[in-house]
Amino acid sequence: MTVGIRADGLGVRFLFDRDRRVVTPALARLRRRGLELWGLKDVSFEVGPGEAVALVGPSGAGKTTLLRTIAGVFTSDAGRLDVHGRVGSLLSIEAGLLGRLTGRENGVLLGVLAGLSRHEARAALEEIRAASGLGESFERPVSSYSQGMRARLGFAVADRADPQILLLDEVHEALDHAFREVVEERAGEILGRGGVVIAAGHDHPLLERLCTRAFLMREGRVERDGSFAEVQTAYLA
Amino acid sequence: MAVPGRSRGALGRTADVLFALTRADVRVRYGRGRFRLIKWLVDPFALVGVYLLLVTFVLGRPGEAPGLSLTCAVVPFQLLMMSVANALSAIEHRRQIVLNMAFRRSLIPISSVLTESVAFGASLTLFVLMMAVYAVPPTLALLWLPVVLAVNVVVGIAFAYPASLVGLWFPDLRQFAISVVRTAYFVAPGLVPLSAIHGRTAELVRANPMTGLFESYRDVFLRGHSPAAWELLLPLGIALLLLAVFVPLYRTEQAQFAKVLE
Repeated sequence: MTVGIRADGLGVRFLFDRDRRVVTPALARLRRRGLELWGLKDVSFEVGPGEAVALVGPSGAGKTTLLRTIAGVFTSDAGRLDVHGRVGSLLSIEAGLLGRLTGRENGVLLGVLAGLSRHEARAALEEIRAASGLGESFERPVSSYSQGMRARLGFAVADRADPQILLLDEVHEALDHAFREVVEERAGEILGRGGVVIAAGHDHPLLERLCTRAFLMREGRVERDGSFAEVQTAYLA
Repeated sequence: MAVPGRSRGALGRTADVLFALTRADVRVRYGRGRFRLIKWLVDPFALVGVYLLLVTFVLGRPGEAPGLSLTCAVVPFQLLMMSVANALSAIEHRRQIVLNMAFRRSLIPISSVLTESVAFGASLTLFVLMMAVYAVPPTLALLWLPVVLAVNVVVGIAFAYPASLVGLWFPDLRQFAISVVRTAYFVAPGLVPLSAIHGRTAELVRANPMTGLFESYRDVFLRGHSPAAWELLLPLGIALLLLAVFVPLYRTEQAQFAKVLE
């Protein structure tokens, strides 16, 4: 199976009640919803094997929504999205970690949720500990971690599930210099094996090193699809 | 590198996710170490103690082995009560993983019940204690215990699905939902057995799914005979009805959980 992502007229909708709180469709019917906003609207693209794409645009443009939809966290409300390949993601600084659990306990939980079996997740713990560089902190509750430590642990767990599609959302910007190099190196390996990397953020030098292609996103749409330099110029213009 | 997790079937994957969610939830809610056991035992022991005083001295209707009879109601009720309390905040408590990971959200309510089943398992020691105190010998009726426990857990899961949705839709009503479940205990033969309730009230009380559960525990532990069919089938039937209504609704709604929690 060839790794890739194809979106065709993709749309993701958010429903709000009269108090401007996001609600589910059933509750919206019950409360006679107040507002409907499209986080993504009519988004179409195709990303093939070996491609790395940067999502560039102002805050609220739909970058995180697109990444979460590709990761399967959000479901689409219009159009079609086909994702072929195992997805590994780092979508927020919290990285899905539960604060009251230790690094080790989070490693097992997130490993299983990422697709490992319980046995595989437990067997991978020492590798995760080493890859995250957390040392003794691995046995401490995650609530005592810095943002960088959380991102490192989150990435180490996601990476252990051997992703073919790597999604990074700004959180790599919370990483220290040494760990950024690890992420970049790993992203390069995934691309070299015919995988896909999609990264969003505002650290353009980092995105440029990772990605040759970019989408300029505004108001939930892909306004421009081109080389990173071209899209960056259009964004900053 | 071997492809991770691909050697398992769907059932194995579901079991792994359920186990991981439950284990994490037990740690988050009850911490670690031997003090957990005390936390799990305090509530049922305290409730039985308070109700024993109430039934014996205030109401003056102790009946046969009142401590054991109360345990037969309090322990199964605790599983239902704690399952609902857990489920009401289950989605919000898992906000971080719902927002970051793609997994079957329909396992969350089941995980809530399994978490509380661990505490429930510990509270079963109360039966042993009460049987010893009232010198009630164990009988072959105890062979029915796995069936009774299974029905109890199924009723817990059936309550957990609507509770999870209510907790997400109407967070302000969580305390009210807990009060509703607590009220259901008092409109079931929780303080006194069904045989001590007469006339039209007894007929009405039977419709409460908790009634059959409490009475089946009393049959197994106190009276030493098999539970009547209705005692297991009525709660099971109500549970299946609730599941038939709320599982499809939950499955429709679960796709939107991350949007609500964002």
